[in-house]
Amino acid sequence: MTEQRTRLKRFSAADRLWHLGLVLVFMTLSVTGIAWMFYETSWGRGLGSLFGGYQGTLEVHRIAGLVMMAGFVAHILYMLTQIDWKGFPRSLMGPDTLVFQWVDVKGFFAHLGWIFGLREHPRFDRWSWWEKFDYWAVWWGLIIVGITGLMLYNPVLTSQFMPGWLLNVALWVHRIEAVLAMGHIFTIHFTVEHWRPSSFPYNASMFDGSVDLEDARHEHPEWVARLEKEGRLDAALVAPPPVPLRILYFVVGYAIIALGVFLLVFALINAALLTLF
Amino acid sequence: MRIGHITFCLLATLLMSLPAIGQAADKPDELAGTGYFRDQDTLPGSFRFYQQLPGGEAGLWGLGPTRKKISRASFNADAHADVADYSPQTRCQKCHAPETRDLHGLRMNITCVQCHRNVPVTGILHYYSPLNPIRRHAYVCAKCHEGATPSFASYMVHEPNPLAPESRESFPLLYYGIWFMLILAGGVFVIFLPYTALWWIRDLFAKLTGKLRHD
Repeated sequence: MTEQRTRLKRFSAADRLWHLGLVLVFMTLSVTGIAWMFYETSWGRGLGSLFGGYQGTLEVHRIAGLVMMAGFVAHILYMLTQIDWKGFPRSLMGPDTLVFQWVDVKGFFAHLGWIFGLREHPRFDRWSWWEKFDYWAVWWGLIIVGITGLMLYNPVLTSQFMPGWLLNVALWVHRIEAVLAMGHIFTIHFTVEHWRPSSFPYNASMFDGSVDLEDARHEHPEWVARLEKEGRLDAALVAPPPVPLRILYFVVGYAIIALGVFLLVFALINAALLTLF
Repeated sequence: MRIGHITFCLLATLLMSLPAIGQAADKPDELAGTGYFRDQDTLPGSFRFYQQLPGGEAGLWGLGPTRKKISRASFNADAHADVADYSPQTRCQKCHAPETRDLHGLRMNITCVQCHRNVPVTGILHYYSPLNPIRRHAYVCAKCHEGATPSFASYMVHEPNPLAPESRESFPLLYYGIWFMLILAGGVFVIFLPYTALWWIRDLFAKLTGKLRHD
């Protein structure tokens, strides 16, 4: 029995693989980074023992950091191949672009107005302003954390090319930016994607690649209307994933979410025990 | 064409650093030193770059830790000579508590005397002190950090509180850099945590009034 094609393809296989790779490496870095930062506490040492103690935690953190940087470079190269160079730079200003446009600024204020009940929900196209923000925020974070992380990777080598006291600054910047990134993901990103009443308890679209068509009609109406007008809507419709796959998405996804929330909660609890200065 | 131009510029920048390799022994690289600890790096006057003297400009336009207030005792052979109630049995932490709370002490359990020695505790700017910046990398840092350079030794083990007003004078880049990062991170949360919370509530209203579909 064929399922009704009630879902709309939204994320390509490549999109999903990039996201999954990012998630796995980010969580590895988070766990090892937090274990290192909280090593004075028994909770931190417990986390660190999973990786072989203090040195092991640092080793894994460094290697995962290199993997993250390599992935970032690979992603930049991949994105360069995705740009329509023939139509450049106009091609970066189309309705499917991830680049911020004036319409996103208007969308932000319109969305704020809807939140306060002042107007109806804005009609977003393919990407809402917060999805674009979530994409570019990773670039900012990886550049800051990556550069300072590479500086800290081998302090003796780094100090051959720049003054050693820059490492004092680098460690603080690395810490603060990492805490910003983890804090943002484990609170705001999880809430917007999974815990909003309209998608509670779980939103599998980044694993499965599709969104419910009716949800898309109401959150991204301009996009659906555009697909319809261009005759591409029918080709983009898919059936919901089979139940075993849905279970898999839920279990894996929630394991990661739970890990993030666990890190957040216990980091907050143990924060008072930290000696920062 | 453009790619070729960019590649050329990148290569030229990298190649321009080649003269730094294979420095003549009498004109050592300021940052990396020569690696010849006994005969070169630790001779008087070898490296002026990292001396922590008040008013010194040093590298990067004085953004580094070069303006820390220095006490006279730091120049003495016995830094505690004029300290009342001092005896070698006194615990360092009694007067130097903040200095025991940095990463070297907390993570590696390094004790004060492992670097500062104690017969007597010599001021770090005394001419012959192992901790004098002109030879610190060789006599102290390299005990654990193989290959330490003069630049490596300029890392502040006893880092000041980056947020304290005193750091603005003693380590400007740390002060301004960390305040910037805190304001950035704090700003993001101060704006987007309430935003997300209000959004969640609005979404709940939409769902409860049957208007889940944002009509």
